[in-house]
Formats: sequence, structure tokens, C-alpha cells
Amino acid sequence: MLEIKDLHKSYGKLVALDGVDLRVSKGETVVIMGPSGCGKSTLIRCVNRLTEPDTGTILLGGKNVLSLNGRELQNLRRNVGFVFQQFNLIGRLTVLENVMFHLVLGGMNQDEARVKGRLALEKVGLRSTEDRRPHELSGGQQQRVGIARALVTNPEIMLWDEPTASLDPILVGEVLEVMEELVKTTATTMVIVTHEVSFALRVAERIVFMDKGQVVEQGAPSKVFENPQSDIARLYRKLLVN
Amino acid sequence: MLVFFRDGFYKDLIILLVLTVIVGAVFSQGIAWAIDTYFGDTLDGMIGEYGEYDVILHIREEAKETALRELERIGEESFPGYRVNQTLTIAGQANFFFGFPDAYRTREVLESITSYFGAVPGINGYTLMVEPSVLIRGVHPAAREDVREQIEELEGVKFVVKDGNNLVIVLLNEDWISGVTKKIEDILQQYQILELRFPMGFEVDTQEVGDQALAILHAQNTTGEDVYKNVTSAEYGEDLDAFLKTLVEMRDFLGSYASQVRIIPEPGVELGVGELILLEDDLTIEVTGMYGDLVEAMIVEGSPVQSTDRIVQKGYRYRNDGERGEFIGDVEIENERYRLAYAVDESLRLLAELEELSVQASTAVDNAEAVLTTFQEALMQLEVLQVQMRQLNEGIASGEAKSSGEQFLVTLLLNGLFQTLAQGVINTGEESLDSLQNLDIEEMRKSLAGISTQISNVQEIDVTAIMEQIGFVRDTLPDLNDAEIGQSIRLINTYLAGQVIPGERVQLLIQGKPLDAKVFETIFQEELENPYLHTYSTSVGMVSPDARGEVFRILKEVRSIVAGMLSIIFTMIVLILDHATIFSTLKYVRACERPDKRGWKRLFNPLFFLGGTLGTVILTSVYYLSRSQIPFFSLPFVVLLGFVLGVLIVAFAERFSPVHSMELMAGQSLGLSNVQIMREVVIPPSRPGLLNILNRFKQQF
Ligand SMILES: Nc1ncnc2c1ncn2[C@@H]1O[C@H](COP(=O)(O)OP(=O)(O)OP(=O)(O)O)[C@@H](O)[C@H]1O
Ligand SMILES: [Mg+2]
Repeated sequence: MLEIKDLHKSYGKLVALDGVDLRVSKGETVVIMGPSGCGKSTLIRCVNRLTEPDTGTILLGGKNVLSLNGRELQNLRRNVGFVFQQFNLIGRLTVLENVMFHLVLGGMNQDEARVKGRLALEKVGLRSTEDRRPHELSGGQQQRVGIARALVTNPEIMLWDEPTASLDPILVGEVLEVMEELVKTTATTMVIVTHEVSFALRVAERIVFMDKGQVVEQGAPSKVFENPQSDIARLYRKLLVN
Repeated sequence: MLVFFRDGFYKDLIILLVLTVIVGAVFSQGIAWAIDTYFGDTLDGMIGEYGEYDVILHIREEAKETALRELERIGEESFPGYRVNQTLTIAGQANFFFGFPDAYRTREVLESITSYFGAVPGINGYTLMVEPSVLIRGVHPAAREDVREQIEELEGVKFVVKDGNNLVIVLLNEDWISGVTKKIEDILQQYQILELRFPMGFEVDTQEVGDQALAILHAQNTTGEDVYKNVTSAEYGEDLDAFLKTLVEMRDFLGSYASQVRIIPEPGVELGVGELILLEDDLTIEVTGMYGDLVEAMIVEGSPVQSTDRIVQKGYRYRNDGERGEFIGDVEIENERYRLAYAVDESLRLLAELEELSVQASTAVDNAEAVLTTFQEALMQLEVLQVQMRQLNEGIASGEAKSSGEQFLVTLLLNGLFQTLAQGVINTGEESLDSLQNLDIEEMRKSLAGISTQISNVQEIDVTAIMEQIGFVRDTLPDLNDAEIGQSIRLINTYLAGQVIPGERVQLLIQGKPLDAKVFETIFQEELENPYLHTYSTSVGMVSPDARGEVFRILKEVRSIVAGMLSIIFTMIVLILDHATIFSTLKYVRACERPDKRGWKRLFNPLFFLGGTLGTVILTSVYYLSRSQIPFFSLPFVVLLGFVLGVLIVAFAERFSPVHSMELMAGQSLGLSNVQIMREVVIPPSRPGLLNILNRFKQQF
């Protein structure tokens, strides 16, 4: 499904990605963990070209992502659901509009888009708030709108960039619940960046540890936590034990 | 980054650009036109139609009602068909426009304004504004009649009016203006005034020198065709002389009023006039004169402590960095101003004391009079007593007294008593009494009365009023500090430097080939043996533009300048409201791009070029479409200004219009095209400009 090879990215002198290789199979749920600043966001943003990598290759569903342009790139992006840490909702649009406007702009007619939008909102438990504006919602609700927006196109792959990191601890639960439900009920390929260790343990088929722009260890959760090879993995195990 | 335009946003941008230019031109020209119309109308209302009025009468504001009645009376009586209109009142002066009917618009009437209107209440002078006319200012009296005669001969000239030092050439109609003006200039050009000035203090017999100079001119005159006249007169230009003299007086007065500063340089210290010296107390002084050991200076910054005593401070050289340099010597400061203030204060106190004293003195005189009266009474009683005593004594001595035994006893007793009394109190009795009697009580009374009158005179003087007056004088003593005085003196000096201080002056009228003043300066200096004289050349009059034409020309200029300013402002507003949004987005997009630029491409940011071009296109089009014209703004300058504005907007785009990078990124991740991102995500929440308004037609959500 997704194949990343020798990906490099620097911001000026700062090396954010230093030769990353990663393969994700269709339907797989992969959790990426690592300390702040190790390049997780940069990595998944490269997948749908929100960030342009310097060198390397990315194949998604057989297509060479880095060679796409214009319309092809837009089509690819519609097939990739992206959930942001800061939700990134359009402030002036209502909840329903936020979830459906890109369908309409992509060529779908209004009514169909509205039906799909409501369906997606239902999946995240937010049917009743469709006429409100994002700022009238709690953080947890806003992030669930973000999730609905990402999944409304039925994407083949969903990329999650620390979806709960900017939430109140009390609100984290409702979002994780929705995520877990999604992982269980859909066949979508998931690449999730998160620090929620126990969540990772529950849903991940594979955990990838990153440090300083490189993948340092990966494997099944039971394996990497029971027998960590890298310092990072050991650190996360400590978190789990506590 | 420029890929951004490929999917159609450039169309939006072009529509925006065209609309911007149209709106800008309409806006700038519209406002300028409105200003133009407004002023034009106001002006017509103020000075009437062309040729409607002939004279402006300046009248003190408080008299304007009576004046108007009087003007109407004069008009009806002497100029039937007259027009009068009261216009602006400026600085307490009302201005009445008066128009004569054609029959009265003659040289005689216009040269007799004063005799017709001199008795109008509150009149304060007049200004001729006959139209159409040409005005010649400052016509030299020596050439006036000559010039006048020649001008009256010109075709198109109706008559010539002398108005003070000016000549007003009234024309048949306005078509003659430029032609006649040209000819008048030719006439004036035949004349020249050569002026010889001697510096102040040179006492010369100007007539004699004038004749000498004339002789020199004649000697130099080769052709013999030209006419030279000695036209030296004391009157011409007296005002300026008086003004300059006043300035000199004022400077000297200020100088004496400032603190007197003397420097006592340390041995070996060299100072120069104009040098700055720093003192303690943050004072700065400037050396103004050096007379051997005596070095004078004035304070140019700071105020010395207020003291009537001499202040001595240490002086240091003023270094270029404003810090103190080496010690140069002691500096003494004496302040006459403070002394004066002190003296005034003291005299005020004296007056207060005097008033107090006069009250006390008058009481004292009253008391003295009472004492005198008592004293006189006592003296009279004493006299009576003395007479009785004498009689008694005599009686006793002669034995003539036929008294009973009792009487005798009493007398004896009394006598003894009185002896004792007289001895004890007034010493040797009679002598003292006599000297007492010798006191001239009446004289004393008289002088006492004199004093009393003087005191009451003193009391009648209104001391309080005097004190108030003196207090007033003290308070109005110019409230200048030394630094201000220093600055004023410098200022006056700078002005005077450009002026010839009035001195003696000789004027020669030259008719014919103009002479070079500089050449003749040398000749005169040699021949008249005076190296200090200067020679100047002046014309005998200057043609001034028609006042109204001038006003309209200025108005037109103002209109173009206003339109120009508005074009610039409009361009800035448009760039800030609309284009900053686009540029901040483009800058963000560019920053996210793969940095595959090599070499110069990395340094060259096409955004700045794009911004500059946009700025140029908008400003240049709006500027020229609105017919703007700012002095010194040539086409290349306008183009450059537009470019600079555009580049500045690109440089500060995020400040004017911050990028909502999160929404933008969401748009990208949802697979929107760039034009969709602009229309749906970036522009709607941006500032409400043309772009925002235009976008509403395209926006789907
Ligand atoms: N646009 C950018 N410009 C410059 N540096 C950047 C930019 N984005 C990320 N970086 C830097 O690149 C490095 C990797 O950033 P990245 O956001 O990928 O880390 P992360 O693993 O997601 O960290 P976090 O857990 O804090 O989100 C960091 O040091 C970050 O400061
Ligand atoms: Mg991150």
C-alpha cells in the first residue's frame, strides 16, 4: 500500500528526516512513536505532499507520489484522509459544511455531499451539532469533526498526526474511542502518530519507533514492548509499566 | 509557486487588476474634481465673475455694517449702477468688493479711490483688481512716467493707473493680455537701476557721489546713445532699511539682555570665534568675539542658575562626540536680566514700604499736632501762673499786699511750693519758661501742616497702581532664557548676513544697454576709492501675473497634486487590502516547496518581482488615468514608486494579512485546487477589499 524509501528532508541546516524507510500493507494499522522533534509529522506530511521531501521515493497504491502534479496530486490527496493535531477546521464554515465542502468542490452535487457529510458526522457521534461553527464546540468535538471530514471521502489510507495531543486529558477518551471504533470497523489503512501508549498497544498491528529522523525499531507491540532493542522503545516501555 | 496561478487564479487576478485600476482612477479623479469644483465655486463666490469688481476695500470688522451703508450711499450718489459685495473677513478685516459701472471705470476714478472712499468708516486700505489688466510691481519713480507714456501708446491698452509703486495696465479685453505683457516686458528691459551701496557707518554725500559715478559711466559710455541719470532718493525702499535697522537694534538689545559671558583662557589655550565650550551645569556657550585677552561668548544651550552675582564655572572644549574635552579656563557669567528683575523686585518692596510709611507718617503728624496743642495750652497756663507768681512776689516784696493773715500764709505757702516746683521740674524757673516761650509754636504748626499736606499728597498717589504697573513690567520682561536669546541672535545674524545692512545708497537710472553690476563694482571701487561699496542691478518694475489667473493655476496644480496623492494612497490601500492576502499565501506556499533552486534562483524571489510589477501597474495606471501631476514626479519616478510599494507589500505581506496556515493546509490535504483554496479558504476571511468583494461571486461556501 505505502512504501517509503530513503526519504530525506532538511529545513535549512536542520535535518528532519535522515533516510527513512517504511512499508505499510493494505489494511494495516501502524503506530509511529518517538520523541518530540524526531520527524514524525514531517514524515506523514510527506505522504500527501503537505511537505515536500528533498530526496527519496514514496509509492502509494503503486503511484509515485513525488512525481504527481496538479490534478493527479489533488486526486491522490482526496484518497488520503489526514487528521491534524490542531484539527485545522475552516473557522467560518459550519460543522456540516466543514465535512462536505470539499466533496462539492471535488464535483459532487450538494445533496449527495450533504447526505455523506451527515453520515460521517453520525459515525463520530456529532449529528446534532451540524449547524454550529467550530469555535462553539469543545476540543474533543472539534477533533471528531476533523475525523469525519477525513473519512467522508472513504479514503484508502488515513494519516493521523497526534490527534489527541492538543486536547484536554478529559476529552482524549472520546476521540480515542472513535478512533478505535474506526480501526475495528473499517478496512482502511491507518498510520497513526501518537504518544498514547496503551491505545497503541490495543490497536496497533505494528509499532514504529523513530529518533532523530530515522526509524530505530519496529515490530508487533508485544514484541517491541517485551523486548525493546532501542533506547526509545525502552523509554516507552517504562511509560507503559508506570 | 507560480504553479499556483496555473489552475485559473490568474483570471481572478486580472479581473481584480483591471477593476482596481478603474476604481482607483475614478476615485482619485472624482475626489480631485470635487475639490476643484468646490474651490472654483467658492472662489467665484468670493471674487466674482471675471471683471465684475474693480477694487477690494479693506474695512475693520467692527465697522463693516456702517461701512456697507456708506459704500451704498457713495455708490448711489457717485456711481449709479455700482456693484458691492462683502466677502471673507480675515483677521479682523472685512473685504468689500466694489465694481464700477463701465462709464466710471476710468483712470481718474481708479487713481482717486482714496478721495472717494477715504471717509468710509473703518477703511484700512484698498487693493485694485481691475480686469482684464496687467500689473507691474515696484515701478521705480524715476522711470515711472516714461514707462507709463510708452505703455499708454500700446495697442490694446485702455489706460494705465498708478497705484502706489505699482502700475495697473487696464486692457480693452483679455485677448490682449499676453501680447501686451510681452511688450511691457520689452519696455521695462530698456531700463536698469544701478545701485551703489556703502556699508553702514559710511557717511557720504550721495548727491555728490552720484554725480561722480555718473561721470564715470559717461566716461565708459562709448556709443553715447544711452541715457544715464542720477536718481538717488531717500524714499525708495525705506521700509526694508527700517526693518533691517530694527533687526540690528533688536539683536543688540537681545545681546545686552543675555547673560554676559567672559572666558579667561588658561595660558596656552587657543580659542576661535564660533567654537563651542561646555560648562558645568550642562551649559553650552559659543565664542562670539576675541579682543586680546578678553574672550566673549554667549550661551547657546541651557540656562545658568538665577543669580545676581557673577557666576564662575570651569569651561571645557566641546568634542565632536558631544563630550567634554580639555579644560580651557574659567568662564564668568553675569546676568543683567536677573539683576534687572532683582532691582524691579526691590523697588516694588520699597513702594510697599513707602505706602506703609505714609500711613504711619500721617498718624504721626496728627499725633504731633495734638501734642503741640496740649503743649501750647500747658505753656499758656504756665504763663498765667508765672504772671501770678510775679505779682505775688512783687506784692510780697513791696508789702503792698493788703492781705489778711490767712491770705499771706497761703501766699507764702504757694510761693514756697512753686519755688520748689520750678526748681525741680523746670529748673531755674523763669529762664526755662522764657526759652519755652521763645519756641515759635506757630512756625512749628506751619511746618507740621506742610508735612501733613505732603504726606496726604503721598497718600493720594496710587501706590498700588504703580506697584501693579511695575509688577506688570516685570512680568512682561521677555521671558526668554539664555539659550533662546542665543538662538535668536544667531538667527538674526544669519538673516542679516544675506542682507546689505542699510547704509548710504546712490541710484543711477540707465536707459539703453544694460550694464554689468559686477564689472562696474570694480570700476567704482577704484575710481571712487572706496573698496567697501557694492554695486547691484535692479529692474525698474516686474510684471506680475494676473491674480485670478494665478489662483486658478494654483488650483489646477492643487487638483493634480491631490489626485496624485490619492493615487498613491489608493494603491497602498489596494495593495494592503487585496494583494497582501495573495502574497502572504504565495509566500507560504513557496516556503513549503521543494527547495530545488540553485545559484541565483535561490536569491531571486520572483514574488518580489511580481509584487513590484503589480504595484507599478496599479500606481502608474491610476496616476495617469486620474490625470495626476505631482511636481518632480516623473514617469520613471512613478513607476519606481509603484514598484517599491509593491515590493514593500510583499516584504510585509504577513503583517497586513496573516496566513491562516492551518486552514490552508487543511484545504491542501482535502485535495482542493489552488484556485479553490484561494476562493474558499484564503480570501473569504481576509480584509474586505475589492478582492474580497469580487470573490463573493465565485465563492461556493
Ligand atoms: N516548517 C518548518 N520549518 C523549519 N523547521 C521545521 C519545520 N517543521 C518542522 N521543523 C523542524 O523539524 C524537526 C522535525 O519536526 P516534526 O514536526 O516532524 O517533529 P515531530 O516528531 O512531529 O515533533 P512533535 O512531537 O513535536 O510534533 C523539528 O526539529 C522541527 O523543529
Ligand atoms: Mg508533530
